[in-house]
Amino acid sequence: MDTALEVCGISKTFGNHRAIDDLDLVIPRGATYGLIGPSGAGKTTAIRMIMSILFPDSGSMTVLGKPSALEAKNRIGYLPEERGVYRKMKVRAFLSYIGRLKMGERARVDARATQLLDRLGLADAVNKKCEELSKGMLQRVQFVAAIVHEPDLLILDEPFSGLDPLSVRVLKEIIADEQRRGATIIFSTHVMAHAEELCEQIVMIHKGRKVLDEPMAGLRRQYDTRTIRLEPLDATRDLMALKSVPGVERVQLTDEGCEIGLLAGTEPAVAIRNIAGAVAPARIELVRVRLEDVFIRIVGGGAASEESKQALRTHLQGLSGVGVAS
Amino acid sequence: MMQRIWMVAGRDFSVTVSNKGFLFGILLMPILIFIFVFLGPRILNGRSPVVAGQVAVMDATGTLISEVRSDLAPLAIAARRARATEPRNPSQKGGASIPSIAVVEKPSAEDLRAAKNWLVQPPAAPERHLALIAIHPDAVKRTEGKAEYGSYDLYIASRLDENTENVIHDAMRQALVSARLKNNGIDQAAVDASMQVVRPVSVTVGVGGERETQRGFARWLPFLCGILLFMGVMTGGQILMTSTVEEKSSRVVEVLLAAVSPLELMWGKLLGQVGVGLLTVVVYVGLGMLALLEYSLAGLVDPMLLVYFVIFYLLASLVYGGLMMSIGAAVNQIADAQSLMGPVMILLVAPYALVPMIGQNPNSTLSVAMTFVPPVNSFVVLARLASSTPPPLWQVFGAMATGLAGAGLAVWFAAKVFKIGLLMQGKAPSFGTLVKWARMA
Repeated sequence: MDTALEVCGISKTFGNHRAIDDLDLVIPRGATYGLIGPSGAGKTTAIRMIMSILFPDSGSMTVLGKPSALEAKNRIGYLPEERGVYRKMKVRAFLSYIGRLKMGERARVDARATQLLDRLGLADAVNKKCEELSKGMLQRVQFVAAIVHEPDLLILDEPFSGLDPLSVRVLKEIIADEQRRGATIIFSTHVMAHAEELCEQIVMIHKGRKVLDEPMAGLRRQYDTRTIRLEPLDATRDLMALKSVPGVERVQLTDEGCEIGLLAGTEPAVAIRNIAGAVAPARIELVRVRLEDVFIRIVGGGAASEESKQALRTHLQGLSGVGVAS
Repeated sequence: MMQRIWMVAGRDFSVTVSNKGFLFGILLMPILIFIFVFLGPRILNGRSPVVAGQVAVMDATGTLISEVRSDLAPLAIAARRARATEPRNPSQKGGASIPSIAVVEKPSAEDLRAAKNWLVQPPAAPERHLALIAIHPDAVKRTEGKAEYGSYDLYIASRLDENTENVIHDAMRQALVSARLKNNGIDQAAVDASMQVVRPVSVTVGVGGERETQRGFARWLPFLCGILLFMGVMTGGQILMTSTVEEKSSRVVEVLLAAVSPLELMWGKLLGQVGVGLLTVVVYVGLGMLALLEYSLAGLVDPMLLVYFVIFYLLASLVYGGLMMSIGAAVNQIADAQSLMGPVMILLVAPYALVPMIGQNPNSTLSVAMTFVPPVNSFVVLARLASSTPPPLWQVFGAMATGLAGAGLAVWFAAKVFKIGLLMQGKAPSFGTLVKWARMA
């Protein structure tokens, strides 16, 4: 397999705190990987080691076929979590400087910067000093700086934090374009919904250790919720009566209706038909796996109390919706 | 790798030299030099308003009044002043203005207290009363049995300037000496001629020819070299520290580290600011040479001194630049840097303070010993090279070798601290912590 990144057993300790513990990771070229975990899990430290900004205490890695990112920096695009620009520099000059530091050809870098800025709604900002831009505009400029030299490996650490929904959408489109161009993308976030939407493969990190490394499709199969969400047409119907429908294991009432747990071996399509026959639905759907649920199941384990699960859930920012059907 | 280093250096250099603060700073010193060197003498030689008024004389000898009157005449004052200044500094023309003094004789028997009241004149008086001279009775002829002559008392009006008072003292001295010689039957013209020995300007004879010896400039040259080195190193070092702190606090450093290695970034920044310091020095040396040309003294500076200056400037700026940059990398804001700056400032100010001593005694044991101690040796060896008795060549090369070793050590230390400190946030470390970082990195 042609790999973009191969990490073998890297560890990093700061004082008494083990930030990364024996991390292994193999990312094939052209893949989009989501590096997820709560704040403080070790994602940024792992990325900094991949970038050779920090160096592991032990372990080794190969980045784009080189023993260190130092030898492949020109081919890597990196958007750090902690954004920074030269405040007194003009946007065009800043992007040109960063692009040329990556050994990009000046004319090509300038042309691509102009095109990307235009796409991100920053065409008027090219000749402005960075200090004159708003926080959101600066963030988009920094995103352009990460991809202006057409990298083979793109590492994005929390790329959407602090952006408005419209900018998030454009950024997602550009990331998809980069993937189509052939770039390998490592995408770090603690907002699980973004990872679910963008990534083919998910790597979960918790307390410096890798706790999951699975394709998104496999996760959906493996962590099938076997739960159906029902919103009845008639809000006065007794939904608890659905317990008698074949294949239904449990029913939990929610504000909109209920969530129905299925017995093992029950075909979801048959169950949906039966439930719809019993209670006319305004909306009925199979609940898809959510990464935060997977994460809580993995790190919380079956024995974890509801309080500790809720605490973990709160820690994973970006959560939404109802809890797990019980 | 080199391309990236030059790119970082180029950005740092161009951003710094196009900064208004830097331009103001670099131009301020030449402007001050211009004022002192070119305008200073002209301003200082400008004439102040002429003092005009009366000086009353109570001549108890009864013989001196005409002599005093003639010696306080403007022509006599000008002649004395010319005799006093010309042999020392022929280029200096003019000087303070010559007062216009009218001598008024007062009876020597008059009550002194009443006579002194004459000085306290009403404000509307037509002519200022400047001073009252009371000449002692034995000022020209000694009293029997006394070895010394009498003198005179001088009472002056308030707000009389020092120049006019000196003119009165000089005139009185002239009048008394003249009268005493005459009284003893000695020809004053013969005495004056006998006392006159014109001191010639010595001629320095060297391999390259002869030139007038310039002790004054030679005395100042080591000190000037020290100032130039200090300014160049301080300018580059301070900017380097500030820009590193800014890059760290604005978080742009992580973006840079994604494109260049910490070592490339450090060398790029260091070389950029060495260039800034070098530009500062070139501007100052250039203007200094122009000033020397103005006084036809350019030949006094050995061209090799300029070559040595550049070499030792580079060594010093690598040491101090490296240390300042490591401080910048270790802290998160300028205020935190103050405590770490102490040891570096001592290393910078100590040799600067040594320069006058080294310049006066360029071959003392201290001078020779300090020639081999980096980083102070850049200052020391330059002061010695600029002195009238430069060190032997082996000592200069020895200083270069130890200086290079010192620069290597400083850059190694800076690289270690830079690598760790750049991404370090939180409490500012102590100098001891920096040393610990250097050991563990």
